Amino acid sequence: MSAAAPEPAAQQGATAPEPGARLGAAALTPVFVRLRLSLLRGGLRQSAGRRAAYLASSALALLAACFLSLGLVLLHGNTHADAVTVPLAALLALGWAVMPLFFPSGDETLDPSRLVMLPLRPAPLVQSLLVASLVGVGPLFSLCVLAASAVALAGTPGAWALAVLAVPLALLVCVSLARAVAAANVRLLTSRRGRDLAVLSGLVIAVGAQLVNFGVQQLGSAGLERLEPVAGAVRWVPPAAALGAVASAGEGSYGSALAQLALCALALAGLLHLWRRSLERLMTAPDGSTLQAAAPDAVRRRGRDPLARLLPAGRTGTVMERSLRYVWRDPKTKAAWVTSLAVGLIVPVFNALQGSGSVYFACFAAGMLGIQMYNQFGQDTSAFWMVAMTISSPRDAYVELRGRALALLVITLPYATLVTVLTTALIGDWELLPEAVGLSFALLGAMLATGAWASARFPYSIPQEGHKNVAAGQAGLAWISVFGGMVAAAVLCAPVLALDLWLHLADRASAAWLLLPAGTAYGIGITLLGLRLAAPRTARRLPEILAAVSKG
Amino acid sequence: MTETGQGKAPGTAPAVRVRGLWKRFGEQTAVAGIDLELPAGRFIGLVGPNGAGKTTTLSMVTGLLRPDEGSVEVAGHDVWRDPAAVKARIGVLPEGLRMFERLSGRELLGYTGRLRGIPGPETDRRADRLLDVLGLADAQHKLVVDYSTGMRKKTGLAAALLHNPEVLFLDEPFEGVDPVSAQTIRAVLERYTASGATVVFSSHVMELVESLCDWVAVLAAGTIRAHGTLDEVRGGAPSLQEAFLRLVGAEGRLDDSHLDWLGGGAR
Repeated sequence: MSAAAPEPAAQQGATAPEPGARLGAAALTPVFVRLRLSLLRGGLRQSAGRRAAYLASSALALLAACFLSLGLVLLHGNTHADAVTVPLAALLALGWAVMPLFFPSGDETLDPSRLVMLPLRPAPLVQSLLVASLVGVGPLFSLCVLAASAVALAGTPGAWALAVLAVPLALLVCVSLARAVAAANVRLLTSRRGRDLAVLSGLVIAVGAQLVNFGVQQLGSAGLERLEPVAGAVRWVPPAAALGAVASAGEGSYGSALAQLALCALALAGLLHLWRRSLERLMTAPDGSTLQAAAPDAVRRRGRDPLARLLPAGRTGTVMERSLRYVWRDPKTKAAWVTSLAVGLIVPVFNALQGSGSVYFACFAAGMLGIQMYNQFGQDTSAFWMVAMTISSPRDAYVELRGRALALLVITLPYATLVTVLTTALIGDWELLPEAVGLSFALLGAMLATGAWASARFPYSIPQEGHKNVAAGQAGLAWISVFGGMVAAAVLCAPVLALDLWLHLADRASAAWLLLPAGTAYGIGITLLGLRLAAPRTARRLPEILAAVSKG
Repeated sequence: MTETGQGKAPGTAPAVRVRGLWKRFGEQTAVAGIDLELPAGRFIGLVGPNGAGKTTTLSMVTGLLRPDEGSVEVAGHDVWRDPAAVKARIGVLPEGLRMFERLSGRELLGYTGRLRGIPGPETDRRADRLLDVLGLADAQHKLVVDYSTGMRKKTGLAAALLHNPEVLFLDEPFEGVDPVSAQTIRAVLERYTASGATVVFSSHVMELVESLCDWVAVLAAGTIRAHGTLDEVRGGAPSLQEAFLRLVGAEGRLDDSHLDWLGGGAR
C-alpha cells in the first residue's frame, strides 16, 4: 500500500501553484478521494489472497446490507419498528467508533501521521478527509441500513421529509466518529501513559463481551418488548437520535423531532471539532513521551506511604509492597488482575441472576484470582535479576514467594469472600455459605501452591508491548504452567470436595459448616507446602528462570 | 567499608578468579575458555569489540548466567557453591536487563536495599545521599520507566552501590549516557575505588578505558587476548586503541580502491 501513497502527493505537488500556498477544501477533496481509491487499488494489487478476501468480505457485507435493508423495510408500519431501528443505529455507531481501534492500519488515510509532512491546513483537511471517508463498502453498508431504517419508521409526509435530512446526518456522524476516534487513538499512542491504557483496552472488550452475552440472553428470554425502554433512551443519543427524529415525526411530535435532529447536528460539529484539534496537535506537537519525561511530576508521596506502614517489616513487607504497587502501576499486571476480578465476579453473579447458578460457582472467583500466582517471575520480566541477586538460599526464595502469595491474598481473600456472599445472597441459600467459602479458600490455597511451584518450574516471558501474554516459542510452556497447574489444583482440592460430598450424601448437611474451618486450614497448609517445595527449586534455578523470563 | 576492609590492598588476594570458563549458545561459542585473575582494589576495564563475550562473561561472573564449564571465585568465595557470601559482596549493573521500572527511582532504591537486608531507615538514608550525589533528587518521585538512559544508568548504579559492595561489576555503564551524567558516574566510581573497592566494567570505548582504568583485560571472540596494567597491555603502542586493534587483529587499513567513488567533486 505504501507504494501507492506518494502518487497523490505528487499529483498534489503538480496542481499546487507555489509551495506554501493554502489549499482549499475544494481542491483537496478530489485528491483525497482519489488517494483513497488508489490505496484501495494498490492494496488489492498486492496479493491474490488479499484481493479474494476483500472481494469476499465486500460481497458478504453488501449481501448482509441487502437482507438487513429488506428486513427493515418490511418493518414499515410495525409499531415496534423504532425498538429495532434506533438501537440498531446506535450499534452501528458503536461499530464505527471501535473499528479504528482494532484496525488502525486498515486504512492509511485514517492515520494522520502519514499526512504530517504535507503542507496542509486542518480545516480543509478535515472537510476533504470527511468526504473521502464516505467512499468505501463500510459507508455504503451503513447508508443502506440507515436508509432502510428511515423507511421503516417514516409514516407521514413530514417524517419522510425529515428522513431525507436525518439519514445523511447520521452517516456523517458515524464516519466523523470513526475519524475522531482514530486521531485521538494515534495521539494517545504517542505517550507512555497512552500506551499503558492501550494494553488495558483488550479488557474492556473481554468484560464488554460478557455484558453483551448477558444482555442477549435476557433479550432471548423476554422478546422485543424488552428493547422498548432502551430504544426510548437511545432515541436521544446521536446518531440514533436522527432516526429517533424520524420516529418522532411519524408520531406527530415535531418539536422532539427537531430537537433530536439538532442534537445530531451538534454532535457532528463537536466530533469534527475534536478531530480537528487532534489533527492540529498531531501535526504540530512533538512526541508526547518526550514532553512527559521533561514535565516536572509534582512532588507526590514525600516520605513513606501509608501502604508501607501497614505491611510487615523485612523482606516480606518489601516484596508485598512492590507486588501490590505493580498491580496498580504495571499495565500488564493490572490488565491481568482486572480481567480476573471481573470474570471472577461476572460468572457466578450472572449465573445466579439468571437462576442457573449455584453457590458453588462462587469458587470461580478464587480460581480466577489464584491464576495470578502463576508465572510470578515472568511478571517481573528481566527485572527478575534484581530479585535473583538477593536470593542466595532456599530460605530467601521462600520468603520471596511467601511475600508474593501474601500480597495476592490481601486482595483475593476479601474479594473471594465478597463474591461468595453476593452469590449466596442472590440465590438465597444461606446454609451453603460456610462450605462455599471453605471450598473457595481450599481452592485458593491449591492455586497458590501449584502457582508457586509452576513459577519456579515453568517460567515464561510476558512481552511488555502489545496484547500478547506469552513470548514467541514459549506458548507450550505457558499452557503447561497454567492449565497443568489448574488441573493439579483441582486434584489437590479433591480431599475437601470429597469431605463436602460425603457430608451431603451421608445426610449430615448440618455439619457442613465444618468445611469453613477445614477448607481454610487445608488451604493454608497446602499453600505452605507448595511454597516449601517451590523455594529450593527457585533458589537452584535462578539463572535458568532469568533466561526464561528475559525473552520479552 | 569496615567489615570488608581487609585484603584490599593491591597485590594481595585477587578480587575475581576465573578458571576455564566456557559458554556455548547452540552452535555459537560465546566464551571459549577464559582464565583470569583480577586484582583487588583496582579500576579494571574489560574491553573488546561487540560480540566478544563481555556481557556473557560478566553475567557468568556475577551468577546471572550458568557457565557450561569452569569456576568463578569472587573475593575468595565460589559464585555457585557459596552464593550467599558472593551476592552480599558484589554490586551489579547489567546491560540489556530491565529494572522494576514501574517504581519511582526512590522506591526502587528502597526496594533494593530492603531486599538486601539493609534496615529501612538506613536504606532511606543511603538512598537520599546517592540520589543527591547522582543528581537524581529532582526526579526521585518519577517512575523509572519515564527516565532517560543516563538517569536509568545512574539509578542502576545507585542500586548497585546501596549495600556498599566489595566488588562492583558494571556492564557498559557509559553506553548512551550524556557527558554530564558520564562525568557524575565517573566521579562516584573514582571516589569508590579510592576507598579500596574494586570496579570491573566493560566497554568498547578505548579512550574511556584508558583514562579511567589502571588494569585492563582485552577480550575478543570469547578468549582473553591480553591482560595486565594499562602500560603492560599498551606495550609499545602509542595508545590503547592502537594496541587493541593490533591485539584483536583488526588494524588492517581500509582498501582505498573500493570506495574511491565516495566524496570528491564528481557525482
